Amino acid sequence: MEELIIITNRVDQLPALAEKIEELSEKWNLPMPLTMNLNLVLEEAVSNIIFYGYPDKNEHTIKISVSLLNQEIEVEIEDEGIPFDPTSMKQPDVNLPAEERPIGGLGIFLIFKIMDHVNYKREQGKNILTLKKKIQS
Amino acid sequence: MNITKEKINGFCVLKIEGRIDTTNFNSFEKEISGIISSGETKIVFNCKNMSYISSSGLRVFLVAQKKMMAINGKLNLCEMQPTIKEIFDISGFSSIFKIFGTQEQALE
Repeated sequence: MEELIIITNRVDQLPALAEKIEELSEKWNLPMPLTMNLNLVLEEAVSNIIFYGYPDKNEHTIKISVSLLNQEIEVEIEDEGIPFDPTSMKQPDVNLPAEERPIGGLGIFLIFKIMDHVNYKREQGKNILTLKKKIQS
Repeated sequence: MNITKEKINGFCVLKIEGRIDTTNFNSFEKEISGIISSGETKIVFNCKNMSYISSSGLRVFLVAQKKMMAINGKLNLCEMQPTIKEIFDISGFSSIFKIFGTQEQALE
């Protein structure tokens, strides 16, 4: 089973994306915590593209495909923005006390912690981020 | 997202309802900053009806905690949903905040 969701690089597209994921989860009977986590990782990844991917500030499309196969959810996010490899980002130190914690930098970290598998590739001018997570029954 | 404010035992109790995400964290931050700068030194966030938080929302929580620590104030959280608590655990926020099971405990 596979669904393709196409949005543009605007923050006001995020609620529609979340709604699509809710619909899919209902259709595929996904557990509620997984739905929330899928929404979270998608928001983190897509909002990064929206905020930093397109310095020209013009309208661009972001393609998101979500598939379910062998009890595993796979999400592929494709954009034509500037090259950005989340796997090369420095992970924040989550053991620091509040005074020393920097503001921000948690979004990508959450994607890595929540998903089982994160893969990035740059192909034909596109960023392709693939995220996978097994469904725990 | 909706916030209701109540004064109980000298604490300013804020009930946070709904989602805190990229689309609304700015207004959440404004509201919280306004309350802190109005001179409240003891604040409880009741998170019972907070259904979702992303890194933008976590950011506001951290900013609030830094501000409260700077004035030697108290910021207690309570009644968090398990899925949200998990996000706090992963982010290391569970050790940055005091998180209580009930509002009554958070008011001490």
